[in-house]
Amino acid sequence: MVEYSAIQQRGFHNTCDAKGNLDGFEFRFTPKYYKGLWFTQCRFGNVTVDGEVFDRDSLIFEYDGLEYTREELFDVKIYWQIRVPITVKVKKPGGLKLGYHDVSMDFGWVLNYNGEPEKEFDGSGLGNGGHMMGTENSRRMLLAR
Amino acid sequence: MSEIKKGTPKRGISVYSYCRLLGYTMTLDDVFEDMYDAGATCFELLANHIENYPNPSTQWIDHYFHLCEKYHMQPAEMGHWAETHLHRGPRMSDEQILANLIRDFKLANLLGFKSLRTKITCINEYCDPEPEWEHLMELALPYAEKYDVAMLSECHAPTKLTRQHIYDYLEFADKHQTKHFGINVDFGTFQNQWPEDIYSPEEMERRRSRGYGKPDSWSQPEDIIPILPYSKTCHAKFNYVDENFEERTIPYAKVLQLMVDNGWSGNLVSEYEGPGREDAAFLGDQLRRHHILMSRILGY
Repeated sequence: MVEYSAIQQRGFHNTCDAKGNLDGFEFRFTPKYYKGLWFTQCRFGNVTVDGEVFDRDSLIFEYDGLEYTREELFDVKIYWQIRVPITVKVKKPGGLKLGYHDVSMDFGWVLNYNGEPEKEFDGSGLGNGGHMMGTENSRRMLLAR
Repeated sequence: MSEIKKGTPKRGISVYSYCRLLGYTMTLDDVFEDMYDAGATCFELLANHIENYPNPSTQWIDHYFHLCEKYHMQPAEMGHWAETHLHRGPRMSDEQILANLIRDFKLANLLGFKSLRTKITCINEYCDPEPEWEHLMELALPYAEKYDVAMLSECHAPTKLTRQHIYDYLEFADKHQTKHFGINVDFGTFQNQWPEDIYSPEEMERRRSRGYGKPDSWSQPEDIIPILPYSKTCHAKFNYVDENFEERTIPYAKVLQLMVDNGWSGNLVSEYEGPGREDAAFLGDQLRRHHILMSRILGY
Protein backbone atom coordinates (compact mmCIF):
# COMPACT_ATOMS: atom_id res chain seq x y z
CA MET A 1 0.00 0.00 0.00
CA VAL A 2 1.15 3.55 -0.65
CA GLU A 3 0.29 6.92 0.82
CA TYR A 4 -2.31 8.95 -1.02
CA SER A 5 0.08 11.74 -2.01
CA ALA A 6 2.23 11.22 -5.13
CA ILE A 7 5.31 12.12 -3.05
CA GLN A 8 5.64 9.57 -0.27
CA GLN A 9 6.84 10.40 3.20
CA ARG A 10 7.81 6.80 3.79
CA GLY A 11 11.26 6.56 2.20
CA PHE A 12 12.17 10.22 2.72
CA HIS A 13 15.58 10.41 4.38
CA ASN A 14 19.15 11.57 3.90
CA THR A 15 21.68 9.34 2.18
CA CYS A 16 25.36 8.68 2.82
CA ASP A 17 28.33 7.94 0.63
CA ALA A 18 30.64 4.95 1.13
CA LYS A 19 32.54 6.84 3.85
CA GLY A 20 29.37 7.59 5.79
CA ASN A 21 29.22 11.27 4.87
CA LEU A 22 25.78 12.75 4.10
CA ASP A 23 25.70 13.19 0.35
CA GLY A 24 22.06 13.75 -0.50
CA PHE A 25 18.54 12.60 0.16
CA GLU A 26 15.89 10.44 -1.42
CA PHE A 27 12.14 10.08 -1.52
CA ARG A 28 9.63 7.82 -3.22
CA PHE A 29 7.17 8.86 -5.89
CA THR A 30 4.15 7.16 -7.42
CA PRO A 31 1.88 8.92 -9.94
CA LYS A 32 -1.73 9.45 -8.92
CA TYR A 33 -2.84 8.50 -12.42
CA TYR A 34 -5.37 5.64 -12.59
CA LYS A 35 -3.13 3.41 -14.69
CA GLY A 36 0.46 2.33 -14.85
CA LEU A 37 2.84 3.67 -17.47
CA TRP A 38 5.67 2.42 -19.62
CA PHE A 39 8.79 4.29 -18.52
CA THR A 40 9.23 5.42 -22.10
CA GLN A 41 5.97 7.39 -21.70
CA CYS A 42 7.13 9.18 -18.59
CA ARG A 43 8.43 12.74 -18.54
CA PHE A 44 10.35 13.51 -15.37
CA GLY A 45 10.98 17.12 -14.40
CA ASN A 46 13.04 18.95 -11.81
CA VAL A 47 12.90 18.37 -8.06
CA THR A 48 12.58 21.48 -5.91
CA VAL A 49 13.18 21.46 -2.16
CA ASP A 50 12.62 24.64 -0.16
CA GLY A 51 13.10 26.66 -3.33
CA GLU A 52 16.36 24.95 -4.34
CA VAL A 53 16.06 23.40 -7.81
CA PHE A 54 17.73 20.09 -8.61
CA ASP A 55 17.96 19.63 -12.36
CA ARG A 56 16.12 16.62 -13.72
CA ASP A 57 19.25 15.36 -15.44
CA SER A 58 21.08 15.19 -12.10
CA LEU A 59 18.46 12.87 -10.57
CA ILE A 60 18.80 9.10 -10.21
CA PHE A 61 15.68 6.94 -10.33
CA GLU A 62 15.66 3.52 -8.74
CA TYR A 63 13.03 0.97 -9.74
CA ASP A 64 13.01 -2.69 -8.82
CA GLY A 65 16.57 -2.48 -7.56
CA LEU A 66 18.10 -0.86 -10.66
CA GLU A 67 19.16 2.76 -11.07
CA TYR A 68 18.55 4.94 -14.11
CA THR A 69 19.09 8.49 -15.22
CA ARG A 70 16.22 10.42 -16.77
CA GLU A 71 17.81 9.97 -20.20
CA GLU A 72 18.14 6.20 -19.72
CA LEU A 73 14.49 5.87 -18.78
CA PHE A 74 13.47 6.98 -22.27
CA ASP A 75 14.68 3.59 -23.50
CA VAL A 76 13.72 1.35 -20.59
CA LYS A 77 11.08 -1.09 -21.82
CA ILE A 78 9.62 -1.76 -18.41
CA TYR A 79 6.03 -1.15 -17.30
CA TRP A 80 5.93 1.02 -14.18
CA GLN A 81 3.40 -0.95 -12.15
CA ILE A 82 0.61 1.08 -10.66
CA ARG A 83 1.07 2.13 -7.02
CA VAL A 84 4.66 0.84 -6.96
CA PRO A 85 6.87 3.79 -6.03
CA ILE A 86 10.07 4.78 -7.75
CA THR A 87 12.87 6.10 -5.52
CA VAL A 88 14.18 9.52 -6.52
CA LYS A 89 17.76 10.07 -5.40
CA VAL A 90 19.10 13.60 -5.16
CA LYS A 91 22.73 14.57 -4.64
CA LYS A 92 23.28 17.36 -2.12
CA PRO A 93 26.48 17.45 -0.05
CA GLY A 94 25.54 17.46 3.62
CA GLY A 95 22.00 16.30 2.89
CA LEU A 96 18.98 18.15 4.26
CA LYS A 97 18.62 19.44 7.81
CA LEU A 98 16.29 17.54 10.10
CA GLY A 99 12.92 19.24 10.05
CA TYR A 100 10.14 20.15 7.63
CA HIS A 101 10.84 20.57 3.94
CA ASP A 102 8.71 21.54 0.97
CA VAL A 103 9.43 18.90 -1.65
CA SER A 104 8.07 18.98 -5.18
CA MET A 105 8.72 17.21 -8.43
CA ASP A 106 7.37 17.91 -11.89
CA PHE A 107 6.09 14.82 -13.60
CA GLY A 108 4.06 14.24 -16.73
CA TRP A 109 3.42 11.53 -19.22
CA VAL A 110 2.37 10.86 -22.76
CA LEU A 111 -1.11 9.50 -23.27
CA ASN A 112 -2.74 8.45 -26.50
CA TYR A 113 -6.29 9.73 -25.93
CA ASN A 114 -8.37 12.71 -24.83
CA GLY A 115 -6.05 15.27 -26.36
CA GLU A 116 -3.47 16.29 -28.87
CA PRO A 117 -0.24 14.33 -29.27
CA GLU A 118 2.89 15.39 -27.37
CA LYS A 119 4.23 18.69 -28.67
CA GLU A 120 7.86 18.10 -27.74
CA PHE A 121 8.97 15.50 -30.23
CA ASP A 122 12.24 14.96 -28.35
CA GLY A 123 10.57 14.28 -25.00
CA SER A 124 12.00 17.45 -23.48
CA GLY A 125 8.65 18.64 -22.11
CA LEU A 126 6.25 17.16 -19.60
CA GLY A 127 4.14 15.22 -22.07
CA ASN A 128 0.49 15.78 -22.89
CA GLY A 129 -1.26 14.20 -19.91
CA GLY A 130 -0.99 17.24 -17.65
CA HIS A 131 -4.61 18.30 -18.17
CA MET A 132 -5.73 15.22 -16.22
CA MET A 133 -4.16 15.98 -12.87
CA GLY A 134 -1.46 18.57 -13.40
CA THR A 135 2.28 18.05 -13.55
CA GLU A 136 3.32 19.60 -10.25
CA ASN A 137 3.46 17.33 -7.24
CA SER A 138 4.23 18.91 -3.87
CA ARG A 139 4.30 17.84 -0.29
CA ARG A 140 5.56 19.24 2.98
CA MET A 141 7.39 16.44 4.76
CA LEU A 142 9.31 15.93 7.95
CA LEU A 143 12.87 14.62 7.62
CA ALA A 144 13.96 12.80 10.74
CA ARG A 145 17.00 10.85 9.52
CA MET B 1 -42.96 -7.43 -38.54
CA SER B 2 -41.62 -9.73 -35.82
CA GLU B 3 -41.22 -8.27 -32.39
CA ILE B 4 -37.70 -7.70 -31.10
CA LYS B 5 -36.98 -9.94 -28.12
CA LYS B 6 -36.21 -7.87 -25.03
CA GLY B 7 -32.53 -7.72 -24.14
CA THR B 8 -31.14 -8.97 -20.82
CA PRO B 9 -27.90 -7.06 -20.20
CA LYS B 10 -25.61 -8.31 -17.46
CA ARG B 11 -24.87 -5.98 -14.56
CA GLY B 12 -21.19 -5.50 -13.77
CA ILE B 13 -18.62 -3.05 -12.38
CA SER B 14 -15.39 -1.65 -13.75
CA VAL B 15 -12.49 -1.99 -11.34
CA TYR B 16 -11.58 1.52 -12.57
CA SER B 17 -14.33 2.78 -10.23
CA TYR B 18 -11.97 1.92 -7.36
CA CYS B 19 -8.95 3.73 -8.86
CA ARG B 20 -8.54 6.04 -5.85
CA LEU B 21 -8.71 3.20 -3.37
CA LEU B 22 -7.01 0.24 -5.06
CA GLY B 23 -3.42 0.12 -3.89
CA TYR B 24 -4.10 2.77 -1.22
CA THR B 25 -6.62 1.16 1.11
CA MET B 26 -8.04 -1.73 -0.90
CA THR B 27 -6.58 -4.81 -2.52
CA LEU B 28 -7.95 -6.52 -5.60
CA ASP B 29 -9.47 -9.12 -3.25
CA ASP B 30 -11.31 -6.32 -1.43
CA VAL B 31 -12.53 -4.94 -4.76
CA PHE B 32 -13.93 -8.29 -5.88
CA GLU B 33 -15.74 -8.71 -2.57
CA ASP B 34 -17.20 -5.22 -2.87
CA MET B 35 -18.32 -5.78 -6.46
CA TYR B 36 -20.06 -8.98 -5.40
CA ASP B 37 -21.86 -7.23 -2.56
CA ALA B 38 -22.98 -4.47 -4.92
CA GLY B 39 -24.75 -7.06 -7.04
CA ALA B 40 -22.36 -7.29 -9.98
CA THR B 41 -22.06 -10.51 -11.95
CA CYS B 42 -19.31 -9.39 -14.31
CA PHE B 43 -16.41 -6.92 -14.28
CA GLU B 44 -13.99 -4.86 -16.30
CA LEU B 45 -10.31 -5.00 -15.45
CA LEU B 46 -7.80 -2.53 -16.82
CA ALA B 47 -4.53 -4.01 -18.05
CA ASN B 48 -2.63 -2.27 -15.26
CA HIS B 49 -4.76 -4.06 -12.65
CA ILE B 50 -3.00 -7.24 -13.70
CA GLU B 51 -0.13 -7.67 -11.28
CA ASN B 52 3.22 -7.43 -13.08
CA TYR B 53 1.51 -6.57 -16.38
CA PRO B 54 2.19 -7.62 -19.05
CA ASN B 55 3.71 -10.75 -17.45
CA PRO B 56 1.51 -11.93 -14.60
CA SER B 57 2.77 -14.87 -12.58
CA THR B 58 0.95 -18.18 -12.66
CA GLN B 59 0.24 -17.68 -8.96
CA TRP B 60 -1.54 -14.41 -9.70
CA ILE B 61 -3.48 -15.96 -12.57
CA ASP B 62 -4.61 -18.81 -10.32
CA HIS B 63 -5.63 -16.34 -7.66
CA TYR B 64 -7.51 -14.22 -10.22
CA PHE B 65 -9.59 -17.24 -11.31
CA HIS B 66 -10.10 -18.13 -7.65
CA LEU B 67 -11.60 -14.64 -7.12
CA CYS B 68 -13.83 -15.02 -10.19
CA GLU B 69 -15.10 -18.35 -8.88
CA LYS B 70 -15.48 -17.30 -5.25
CA TYR B 71 -17.51 -14.21 -6.14
CA HIS B 72 -19.40 -15.69 -9.11
CA MET B 73 -17.94 -13.05 -11.39
CA GLN B 74 -17.56 -13.31 -15.17
CA PRO B 75 -14.79 -11.42 -16.99
CA ALA B 76 -16.54 -8.84 -19.19
CA GLU B 77 -13.96 -6.48 -20.63
CA MET B 78 -10.25 -5.73 -20.35
CA GLY B 79 -9.21 -2.13 -20.85
CA HIS B 80 -6.04 -1.59 -22.84
CA TRP B 81 -4.35 1.02 -24.99
CA ALA B 82 -3.37 0.75 -28.66
CA GLU B 83 -0.31 2.94 -28.12
CA THR B 84 1.44 4.31 -31.18
CA HIS B 85 3.76 6.84 -29.50
CA LEU B 86 5.32 5.03 -26.56
CA HIS B 87 8.73 6.47 -27.37
CA ARG B 88 9.87 10.02 -28.00
CA GLY B 89 10.29 10.73 -31.66
CA PRO B 90 8.34 9.31 -34.57
CA ARG B 91 5.38 6.97 -34.39
CA MET B 92 6.19 3.37 -33.61
CA SER B 93 6.43 0.95 -36.51
CA ASP B 94 3.42 -1.16 -37.45
CA GLU B 95 5.31 -4.23 -36.20
CA GLN B 96 5.93 -2.69 -32.78
CA ILE B 97 2.33 -1.55 -32.39
CA LEU B 98 0.92 -4.87 -33.55
CA ALA B 99 3.21 -6.87 -31.25
CA ASN B 100 1.86 -4.97 -28.26
CA LEU B 101 -1.73 -5.48 -29.37
CA ILE B 102 -1.20 -9.23 -29.87
CA ARG B 103 0.36 -9.42 -26.41
CA ASP B 104 -2.79 -7.87 -24.93
CA PHE B 105 -5.09 -10.10 -27.01
CA LYS B 106 -3.32 -13.19 -25.64
CA LEU B 107 -3.57 -11.88 -22.11
CA ALA B 108 -7.27 -11.07 -22.46
CA ASN B 109 -7.94 -14.50 -23.91
CA LEU B 110 -6.00 -16.16 -21.11
CA LEU B 111 -8.00 -14.28 -18.47
CA GLY B 112 -11.36 -15.06 -20.07
CA PHE B 113 -12.25 -11.71 -21.62
CA LYS B 114 -14.24 -11.49 -24.85
CA SER B 115 -14.30 -7.68 -25.02
CA LEU B 116 -11.47 -5.21 -24.99
CA ARG B 117 -11.92 -1.49 -24.37
CA THR B 118 -9.31 -0.47 -26.94
CA LYS B 119 -8.10 3.11 -26.70
CA ILE B 120 -7.12 4.00 -30.23
CA THR B 121 -4.58 6.83 -30.42
CA CYS B 122 -6.40 10.08 -31.06
CA ILE B 123 -5.59 13.65 -32.00
CA ASN B 124 -7.94 15.77 -29.90
CA GLU B 125 -10.29 15.79 -26.88
CA TYR B 126 -13.09 14.35 -29.03
CA CYS B 127 -10.95 11.27 -29.64
CA ASP B 128 -10.90 11.63 -33.41
CA PRO B 129 -8.42 8.88 -34.33
CA GLU B 130 -4.99 9.20 -35.85
CA PRO B 131 -5.21 8.98 -39.66
CA GLU B 132 -3.57 5.53 -39.73
CA TRP B 133 -6.19 3.91 -37.49
CA GLU B 134 -7.88 1.91 -40.20
CA HIS B 135 -4.63 0.38 -41.43
CA LEU B 136 -3.69 -0.53 -37.87
CA MET B 137 -7.05 -2.14 -37.12
CA GLU B 138 -6.86 -4.11 -40.38
CA LEU B 139 -3.51 -5.50 -39.26
CA ALA B 140 -4.89 -6.34 -35.82
CA LEU B 141 -8.21 -7.84 -36.87
CA PRO B 142 -6.98 -11.36 -37.78
CA TYR B 143 -5.36 -11.62 -34.37
CA ALA B 144 -8.43 -10.34 -32.57
CA GLU B 145 -10.40 -13.04 -34.35
CA LYS B 146 -7.78 -15.67 -33.52
CA TYR B 147 -7.88 -14.81 -29.80
CA ASP B 148 -11.64 -14.23 -29.91
CA VAL B 149 -11.64 -10.71 -28.51
CA ALA B 150 -13.61 -7.72 -29.76
CA MET B 151 -11.76 -4.40 -29.92
CA LEU B 152 -14.30 -1.85 -28.73
CA SER B 153 -13.39 1.79 -29.11
CA GLU B 154 -14.97 3.86 -26.38
CA CYS B 155 -17.35 6.70 -27.24
CA HIS B 156 -16.67 8.89 -24.20
CA ALA B 157 -17.87 12.43 -23.44
CA PRO B 158 -17.35 14.98 -24.83
CA THR B 159 -17.63 12.81 -27.95
CA LYS B 160 -21.17 12.37 -29.24
CA LEU B 161 -22.43 9.16 -30.80
CA THR B 162 -23.04 11.16 -33.97
CA ARG B 163 -19.40 12.17 -34.34
CA GLN B 164 -18.02 11.28 -37.79
CA HIS B 165 -15.41 8.84 -36.50
CA ILE B 166 -18.13 6.74 -34.83
CA TYR B 167 -19.78 6.27 -38.22
CA ASP B 168 -16.36 5.48 -39.68
CA TYR B 169 -15.87 2.75 -37.06
CA LEU B 170 -19.25 1.18 -37.82
CA GLU B 171 -18.43 1.30 -41.51
CA PHE B 172 -15.14 -0.47 -40.80
CA ALA B 173 -16.93 -3.26 -38.93
CA ASP B 174 -19.44 -3.63 -41.78
CA LYS B 175 -16.75 -3.54 -44.46
CA HIS B 176 -14.87 -6.37 -42.76
CA GLN B 177 -18.04 -8.17 -41.66
CA THR B 178 -16.54 -8.60 -38.25
CA LYS B 179 -17.82 -8.89 -34.71
CA HIS B 180 -14.29 -8.24 -33.44
CA PHE B 181 -14.40 -4.50 -33.78
CA GLY B 182 -17.02 -2.15 -32.39
CA ILE B 183 -17.95 0.48 -29.85
CA ASN B 184 -18.13 0.69 -26.07
CA VAL B 185 -20.70 3.39 -25.30
CA ASP B 186 -19.77 5.28 -22.18
CA PHE B 187 -23.02 6.67 -20.78
CA GLY B 188 -21.26 9.92 -19.95
CA THR B 189 -21.94 10.82 -23.57
CA PHE B 190 -25.61 11.25 -22.55
CA GLN B 191 -24.90 13.49 -19.57
CA ASN B 192 -27.18 16.53 -19.80
CA GLN B 193 -27.22 17.81 -16.22
CA TRP B 194 -24.48 19.34 -14.10
CA PRO B 195 -26.12 20.02 -10.73
CA GLU B 196 -24.46 22.71 -8.68
CA ASP B 197 -24.46 20.53 -5.58
CA ILE B 198 -22.28 17.98 -7.41
CA TYR B 199 -20.08 20.22 -9.58
CA SER B 200 -18.31 23.24 -8.16
CA PRO B 201 -17.88 26.37 -10.35
CA GLU B 202 -14.16 25.55 -10.65
CA GLU B 203 -14.90 21.97 -11.73
CA MET B 204 -17.43 23.20 -14.29
CA GLU B 205 -14.94 25.70 -15.67
CA ARG B 206 -12.38 22.94 -16.06
CA ARG B 207 -14.90 20.66 -17.76
CA ARG B 208 -16.14 23.36 -20.13
CA SER B 209 -12.56 23.98 -21.23
CA ARG B 210 -12.42 20.28 -22.19
CA GLY B 211 -15.65 20.41 -24.23
CA TYR B 212 -18.08 19.20 -21.57
CA GLY B 213 -21.39 20.82 -20.69
CA LYS B 214 -21.71 23.08 -23.71
CA PRO B 215 -25.16 23.29 -25.31
CA ASP B 216 -25.83 20.43 -27.72
CA SER B 217 -22.63 18.69 -26.63
CA TRP B 218 -24.24 15.45 -25.50
CA SER B 219 -25.75 12.45 -27.25
CA GLN B 220 -29.49 11.83 -27.27
CA PRO B 221 -30.60 8.46 -25.88
CA GLU B 222 -31.95 7.40 -29.31
CA ASP B 223 -28.47 7.83 -30.78
CA ILE B 224 -27.46 4.52 -29.16
CA ILE B 225 -29.87 2.41 -31.21
CA PRO B 226 -27.76 2.01 -34.39
CA ILE B 227 -24.67 1.36 -32.25
CA LEU B 228 -26.11 -1.58 -30.31
CA PRO B 229 -25.31 -4.35 -32.81
CA TYR B 230 -21.65 -3.28 -32.64
CA SER B 231 -21.37 -3.17 -28.88
CA LYS B 232 -20.75 -6.07 -26.51
CA THR B 233 -19.90 -4.04 -23.43
CA CYS B 234 -20.87 -0.54 -22.35
CA HIS B 235 -19.59 1.64 -19.53
CA ALA B 236 -22.58 2.44 -17.33
CA LYS B 237 -20.97 5.73 -16.33
CA PHE B 238 -22.63 7.56 -13.44
CA ASN B 239 -21.82 10.62 -11.38
CA TYR B 240 -24.26 10.54 -8.48
CA VAL B 241 -27.19 8.29 -7.58
CA ASP B 242 -29.42 9.84 -4.94
CA GLU B 243 -31.29 8.21 -2.05
CA ASN B 244 -34.26 7.55 -4.35
CA PHE B 245 -31.93 5.53 -6.61
CA GLU B 246 -32.09 8.07 -9.39
CA GLU B 247 -29.03 9.22 -11.29
CA ARG B 248 -28.87 13.00 -11.22
CA THR B 249 -26.89 13.71 -14.40
CA ILE B 250 -27.71 11.09 -17.07
CA PRO B 251 -31.18 10.00 -18.39
CA TYR B 252 -30.65 6.43 -17.24
CA ALA B 253 -34.17 5.05 -17.49
CA LYS B 254 -34.56 6.17 -21.09
CA VAL B 255 -31.15 4.88 -22.22
CA LEU B 256 -31.46 1.47 -20.57
CA GLN B 257 -35.04 0.97 -21.74
CA LEU B 258 -34.03 1.71 -25.34
CA MET B 259 -31.21 -0.81 -25.07
CA VAL B 260 -33.49 -3.50 -23.66
CA ASP B 261 -36.30 -2.78 -26.12
CA ASN B 262 -33.84 -3.12 -29.00
CA GLY B 263 -32.69 -6.51 -27.81
CA TRP B 264 -29.29 -5.64 -26.33
CA SER B 265 -27.89 -8.27 -23.94
CA GLY B 266 -24.29 -7.17 -23.49
CA ASN B 267 -22.32 -6.27 -20.37
CA LEU B 268 -23.16 -3.09 -18.46
CA VAL B 269 -20.20 -2.21 -16.26
CA SER B 270 -20.72 0.54 -13.70
CA GLU B 271 -18.10 3.21 -13.91
CA TYR B 272 -18.26 5.82 -11.18
CA GLU B 273 -16.60 9.19 -11.87
CA GLY B 274 -18.37 11.45 -9.41
CA PRO B 275 -17.02 13.01 -6.22
CA GLY B 276 -15.86 11.03 -3.21
CA ARG B 277 -13.99 8.26 -4.99
CA GLU B 278 -11.31 8.27 -2.32
CA ASP B 279 -13.91 7.49 0.35
CA ALA B 280 -14.50 3.72 0.39
CA ALA B 281 -17.81 4.00 2.25
CA PHE B 282 -19.17 6.67 -0.08
CA LEU B 283 -18.02 4.85 -3.22
CA GLY B 284 -19.40 1.54 -1.99
CA ASP B 285 -22.72 3.20 -1.29
CA GLN B 286 -22.81 4.78 -4.76
CA LEU B 287 -22.05 1.48 -6.50
CA ARG B 288 -24.77 -0.30 -4.55
CA ARG B 289 -27.27 2.47 -5.31
CA HIS B 290 -26.30 2.25 -8.99
CA HIS B 291 -26.97 -1.47 -9.11
CA ILE B 292 -30.31 -1.10 -7.37
CA LEU B 293 -31.16 1.64 -9.91
CA MET B 294 -30.29 -0.68 -12.81
CA SER B 295 -32.06 -3.61 -11.15
CA ARG B 296 -35.27 -1.61 -10.91
CA ILE B 297 -35.13 -0.64 -14.58
CA LEU B 298 -34.10 -4.05 -15.86
CA GLY B 299 -36.38 -6.02 -13.57
CA TYR B 300 -33.64 -8.27 -12.16
